Amino acid sequence: MIPLQTPGGPAPSPFSPEQQSRFDADFGRAVAKYAADHRRAALLPVLHLAQDLLGWLTEPAMAYVGFRLDIPKVRVREVASFYTMYRLKPVGRHAIGVCNSVSCWAMGSEQIIKRCEEKLGIRSGETTRDGQFSLEEVACLAACGYAPAVLVNNYRYVENVTPQSLDSLIEELRAKPGNSMAPAPEPKKLEINRGQGEAPRQTEPQTTGPSGATSVQTSGGK
Amino acid sequence: MALAGSPKILSVDWDKPESWTLKTYGGKYPALEKALKMQPQAIVDEVVKANLRGRGGAGFPTGMKWNFVRKETSFPKYLVVNADEGEPGTFKDRAICERSPHMFVEGLIIGCFALDCHLTYIYCRGEFRDGAIKRVQEAIEEARAAGFVGKNILGSGFDLEMHVVAGAGAYICGEETALLESLEGRKGYPRLKPPFPANAGGGLFKQPTAVNNVETLANLPSIVMKGGDWFNSVGLVPKNGGTRLFAVSGHSRKTGVFEAPMGITFRALLDDYCGGMREGSTLKAIIPGGSSSAILTAAEADWASDFDTLKSKKTMAGSGGVVYLDQSVNMAHALANVMRFYAHESCGQCTPCREGTAWLSRLCDKIMQGRGEKTDVDNVHQIARQMEQKTICALADGAAMPAKSYIEKFRADFDALVRQ
Ligand SMILES: Cc1cc2nc3c(=O)[nH]c(=O)nc-3n(C[C@H](O)[C@H](O)[C@H](O)COP(=O)(O)O)c2cc1C
Ligand code: SF4
Ligand code: FES
Repeated sequence: MIPLQTPGGPAPSPFSPEQQSRFDADFGRAVAKYAADHRRAALLPVLHLAQDLLGWLTEPAMAYVGFRLDIPKVRVREVASFYTMYRLKPVGRHAIGVCNSVSCWAMGSEQIIKRCEEKLGIRSGETTRDGQFSLEEVACLAACGYAPAVLVNNYRYVENVTPQSLDSLIEELRAKPGNSMAPAPEPKKLEINRGQGEAPRQTEPQTTGPSGATSVQTSGGK
Repeated sequence: MALAGSPKILSVDWDKPESWTLKTYGGKYPALEKALKMQPQAIVDEVVKANLRGRGGAGFPTGMKWNFVRKETSFPKYLVVNADEGEPGTFKDRAICERSPHMFVEGLIIGCFALDCHLTYIYCRGEFRDGAIKRVQEAIEEARAAGFVGKNILGSGFDLEMHVVAGAGAYICGEETALLESLEGRKGYPRLKPPFPANAGGGLFKQPTAVNNVETLANLPSIVMKGGDWFNSVGLVPKNGGTRLFAVSGHSRKTGVFEAPMGITFRALLDDYCGGMREGSTLKAIIPGGSSSAILTAAEADWASDFDTLKSKKTMAGSGGVVYLDQSVNMAHALANVMRFYAHESCGQCTPCREGTAWLSRLCDKIMQGRGEKTDVDNVHQIARQMEQKTICALADGAAMPAKSYIEKFRADFDALVRQ
């Protein structure tokens, strides 16, 4: 195993200028939740930021996240691949996840999955050829009393789904361009962007005060 | 409606308009005001008296856990909130966060004061970003503006910072040491214990840490205001104080989150709160506390739902996620569904769990598809027994318990599917 301390090495930014400024602002907030010597702990939130901007976690995005947090890219990829919300390859613009855990299953989730497969012409785990839709089965969403439950693009809950309401959901999504999972553009030029106003990169853990509290100013990012 | 008059602690505000705002909550944190004038140890003593048991699954006495952390001499200390809610059948922490986030935030601040903790993290499942997480963050901002979070809280000299961190989809991160790993930016691999999180070396960034569930903490304001003895008296059985938020799903007439006294029977919960089974349904089986708990038959519906009763009956109160299943469910099919979940969610560190859950899932699928033999059913039971008590975390036991009990209690459903 490569130690966490091994520096990530410079990597070009995968973001457009507008994306970059949003990333930098949110990056600052994510890292500020931790004491300076624990800033690598912000890896999950920072991966979320990158994915929200790009639609999925491209190799350059993971390398760049590693660079900004001083984490080797292999470790970034290892973490990213552990969690189901991170997409390591592009999915459809509308990623439909049907919960198939026990309560939803008892309330007919398998019929919902079948209906999706018929409507979209794909099997669970696949993406339509036009890149519009992906379909997958997901684990319990904490919506069991409102079963069956469906999750659209990682964050939107649709509950008490019936075959009819599923049809209208698919029509609604079809009419929308959708962006949250759109495949990312290729990174353009090799340019190292470390963001503005950021403290110099540390490669060695540095010790600060006894608790993180003093070095933390901002609260949960919005 | 025998128990309809019983006290509501956690869901009192849920039916009020905009129940999630500080205004609806009363504009103040009176329990925090009171707590800040108490000795921290006196707060923990009330929690001990209250017989508050952890609502995340294990039912560990919260006061005892807090005393472990208080005894440690290494600082900083942390209180970390488990809002990862991923156990199939469970959706009550989400309800608290969305409907009464201030009760939870007030309880959390009181807990931090009691533990001398000045930095706390709320680890919330990532899918909650636009719902529960948003509500909690708004509540924190309101609390900050009112002087309940930040420096010198209400003039007491107590400082506290509070952050929400979103997970990224992994059931195992609900296990407290996997949660800490994830919060530190790593894969959610449960840690070998000891050291336990409460002890130096075992918690967040190796510091003494109490990990508590959202619902556990949301009880704190009432315990501080009304006292541990009062809270304890609300529970119907000894050593199980307060009420519980039961997240009910499946084939009952009403489903949703219902607050009932700790120790209510599953029959009373079904009949008095959920309106019985849905039209045309007869009760066949009950999942008493999330999919990791051993199943109950309809005849066992009169069992009390508290931690100790269910433990003595070889199952568990777990997460409070109750699933009522009717005659339409074939329990062999249900087990195949449940086993698929654990096979998918095992982190793979321990061989008995990694191999066992995969094997159980394959065998159950084979049985369900009518390709199984009688020995396959016996093997499922045998493999499950061999997985117990051998692994780094309790996920393996959580897969073994349903596997054994579904077969023991509903053998006919399995036998009907296999060649004898
Ligand atoms: C596999 C597994 C998953 C768990 N998932 C959760 C969860 O989603 N939420 C939770 O609060 N506790 C969960 N727990 C229990 C925690 O490990 C821990 O006991 C709990 O957070 C302690 O808080 P409490 O004492 O307030 O209940 C899980 C345990 C295991 C073994
Ligand atoms: S019991 Fe299973 S989930 Fe838990 S640590 Fe071992 S392999 Fe991972
Ligand atoms: S079982 Fe589907 S949301 Fe819980």
